[in-house]
Amino acid sequence: MFFETKNLTKKFGGLTATSDVNLQIKEGELVSIIGPNGAGKTTLFNLITGHIKPDGGKVFFKDKDITGFPPYVISRMGIGRSFQRLNIFPRLTTFENVQVAVFSAQKKSHQLFTSARKMVRQETENILESVGLLDKKDIQGGLLAHGDQKRLELGIALAVNPLLLLLDEPTQGMSPQETLETTALISKLVKERGLTLIFVEHDMSVVFGISDNIYVMHQGRIVFSGKPEEVKKNEEVQRIYLGEENK
Amino acid sequence: MTKNLTDRFFSAALWMILVLLALMLVPFVFSQSVVSLINEMLIMALAGCALNLMLGYGGMVSFGPAGLYAVGAYSTAILLTRYGAPFFIAVLAAPVIAAIIGTIVGWFCVRRSAVYFALLTLAFAQIIWTVIFEWYDFTNGDNGIVSIPIPEVLYSIRNIYYFSLAFVAICIFVLWRIVRSPFGATLQSIRENPMRTEFIAVPVRRYQLAAFVISSFFLGIAGSLFCVFAGSVFPDYAHWVKSTDMLVVCLLGGIHNFAGPIIGSSVYILISKVIAKNTTYWMFFLGIIIVFLVLYMRNGIAGFAAEKLSRWKNRLQGTNG
Repeated sequence: MFFETKNLTKKFGGLTATSDVNLQIKEGELVSIIGPNGAGKTTLFNLITGHIKPDGGKVFFKDKDITGFPPYVISRMGIGRSFQRLNIFPRLTTFENVQVAVFSAQKKSHQLFTSARKMVRQETENILESVGLLDKKDIQGGLLAHGDQKRLELGIALAVNPLLLLLDEPTQGMSPQETLETTALISKLVKERGLTLIFVEHDMSVVFGISDNIYVMHQGRIVFSGKPEEVKKNEEVQRIYLGEENK
Repeated sequence: MTKNLTDRFFSAALWMILVLLALMLVPFVFSQSVVSLINEMLIMALAGCALNLMLGYGGMVSFGPAGLYAVGAYSTAILLTRYGAPFFIAVLAAPVIAAIIGTIVGWFCVRRSAVYFALLTLAFAQIIWTVIFEWYDFTNGDNGIVSIPIPEVLYSIRNIYYFSLAFVAICIFVLWRIVRSPFGATLQSIRENPMRTEFIAVPVRRYQLAAFVISSFFLGIAGSLFCVFAGSVFPDYAHWVKSTDMLVVCLLGGIHNFAGPIIGSSVYILISKVIAKNTTYWMFFLGIIIVFLVLYMRNGIAGFAAEKLSRWKNRLQGTNG
């Protein structure tokens, strides 16, 4: 199996944030994890990428146990991520934001005396072009519009050349039009680069069109998984979402 | 073409060469006391730039740079007086010893961030100060080490000035290369967002430690240069007051400009000397000046000047093209 979690569990005090989460993802799949806010989706990402350590369970990547590895090792192995909250380098230019990630991917970050300015220009510009930010490359990251910053974050994640990409609500805060465009952009990039993708979203309509498989999370548990059509028909999923909307 | 020319006019390299040329002429123009004042500024500028690698580029607020500076100064002093080491070895060993101590201190400090990092650096600097202060047999304690045997050539102010200038110029140039390297870029990304940097496969702590060690290395050289210049060393070099001087130099000049600490050092030493000459309450006036600078020039003198300069530059380019 390309990527797998086994009984992944995390408790915060009395609250069980994730409970016995089992994911099985094949190479090249585009998988979505959906569920209402507070379902434990972001915690799950943090567990996978080493940001927090699980209380129980294991994470396997390409059949290797990576549970509890520090984030930089996990990223180096080929798991990239974006964050729900904006997470860029605000006072570096858009170009530099991606450039530092390219340095890391090419194992050049440690070079002390070479001039960075003209290095990895082409690679960086290619990535900026693929996320549609090439014309804004000299603007400070923090001054970009919200949607552009989300796309920049995607660019940073792609620049490390991940095999598995975890995107945490990449369209959060975007207008419906932007959401459509960004979702289309993501599925195009994923296909081009042959990536495996885990996409976290609380709005199910965003992911139905592009997912191969959908996991539905509720109160820390995976309550259902299957093809998008199956998820749509499932009564429990309906109840979770309708229940949430009635609140 | 005009755009190209204006660009070149404002380029950093040109400025560096001009400043260096001007500094080389200093002993021919000014009196000995001014030359020795500028010598002090140069050494402080190097210490400030070394600190600023952490402070401005790495976002690591260190309250203990003076500890490593004193390690450099005492290394040279002790090697010369106690072991009769050749002069250049005594000078060149200082940064190496400071870097070794810096590795040990830094290894602990980078385990914590923000205010805890600052406190740890302060604590280690005070430990270094205490060791120097109490270890009479080795460091001469609070008597300091005086009449350090430096080569006779360096007895003249002019020669010692060129000696300091050569070291400071080379070191600042090397630091300038470092901040513009991929390492420097990565360091800045850590300052901006350590968590995001960790997730682009950068071992953040290791990079912070590297910055700490490099900074210690150059602080060590600055300390050693001051030891040679003053011909004596005292425990005060490691005191937190000295660390605050270095921090003020960086903040005053501007931590987000490479030239910030250089400008800060010149202005700080100048005003402290000029005011001290006229009043015993110089700390009071210095305080007021610092309050003003922090409130009205938030990015320091260099940041303020750079902003004005870029506006001027835009206007120039606007009328030309």
